[in-house]
Amino acid sequence: MSTRWYPIYKRGSPQLRVFLPNFWLKLIRPVHKQPPNVVQFVVSVEMTKHDVKNYLEKIYNVPVVQVFTRIVSGETRQDPGKGYVVKDDDYKLAYVTLPQGKTFEFPELYPKEEESEQDKTQKELKKHFKNFVDRNKDRPGAPGWFSF
Amino acid sequence: MFVLTKLKYLATPINYLNSSITLTFSTCCNGCSREKLITCARDFQGAVRCVAASFLHTSSSRYDLMEFFDDEKNWGASEVKVGRAWKKEELRIKSNSDLHKLWYVLLKERNMLLTMEHEAKEKVALFPNPERLDKVAESMENLESVVRERNRAYFELETGETGEKEAVFDHEELGLKQFPELAGKRISKHIDEHWHYRLMTLFKGSAVAKFKKLYREKIANEERKARNRKRNHVMHLLKRFPHIDTATLEKLYPEVNIRKAMLHKKTLGNHPHNRA
Repeated sequence: MSTRWYPIYKRGSPQLRVFLPNFWLKLIRPVHKQPPNVVQFVVSVEMTKHDVKNYLEKIYNVPVVQVFTRIVSGETRQDPGKGYVVKDDDYKLAYVTLPQGKTFEFPELYPKEEESEQDKTQKELKKHFKNFVDRNKDRPGAPGWFSF
Repeated sequence: MFVLTKLKYLATPINYLNSSITLTFSTCCNGCSREKLITCARDFQGAVRCVAASFLHTSSSRYDLMEFFDDEKNWGASEVKVGRAWKKEELRIKSNSDLHKLWYVLLKERNMLLTMEHEAKEKVALFPNPERLDKVAESMENLESVVRERNRAYFELETGETGEKEAVFDHEELGLKQFPELAGKRISKHIDEHWHYRLMTLFKGSAVAKFKKLYREKIANEERKARNRKRNHVMHLLKRFPHIDTATLEKLYPEVNIRKAMLHKKTLGNHPHNRA
């Protein structure tokens, strides 16, 4: 397609520009502990460091100091039934360093839910039942209501 | 104002120069907020209203890494309601600059959805309304095809050519025909060393011949089955509807011999008109 046609640049030609980039980028929670100004992305495999930097600076207006990229090999596993090997797609990770003083913390998108009423009562009931059983341990045969 | 800018941009080509190495973007990519642009693609009037709104810039532009995340009210929600994807008809009436802005809105939306999906997978949680990703993809595809239409029209007007990638029939390693797109102009076969090398080394040997034979057989089988399927379908139609208009049938299924099919026993039914 013409919009995805990148002609070979020859000296003297006008500057080549991308008007509709189709790169994607997703921000992920860092796998290992990182400094507070390092953000981790999964990016399109064909993106270079310069692409990542330009992408963030021009589209998202996020200042970038340094970008490290690496391609992670997709995991291989054996099919449990037939035994053939299946390989996941490779993906590219980008570690983006923000300038000094700027920090980013991955937000808690799924905060821990508070206990519902039902769970609370259930817990209470369990506790009382355990008390009851413990109380009657050393007096076998006595009815449950018989107590001092 | 809108009409003026539209006219101005209609006269300029958008996409005849691209590069894969350096990204140099125009910074005019935060016109409308993404929710507004996506949800207001409901009808023609809605689309126009949206364009009008883009000139007022009523929505505040967020410019942060937090753009990779959905609105805070949607965190942990079980349902996020959005509109449908942009249609081609709606995009055709937009100016080039509007399309350019919309592309970046869609791009950001896609990045956001991918981020949220990834995190949901990590947390083994529900990713609400995953069809949003499909809607964005459809919109982007439609937008790109509209841009391509304009590009084509511009090139045909200015140069007499389509401006598309040149593509020619070629043979691949096993001698099958291909229709690959070329990166540049093709050089003549007579002086193409690569072509000579391929001609001398490839498409040869008994294995290739055997493969081609089997491949042809496979294609022929598929064609035959499709033919029979169609004929059977026509015969069953004749069985169920004995008064069906044969002229229409012939028009719908030109490859089926209707007169011959009417004589077949499969067209016999329980109706007095087609009982044996």
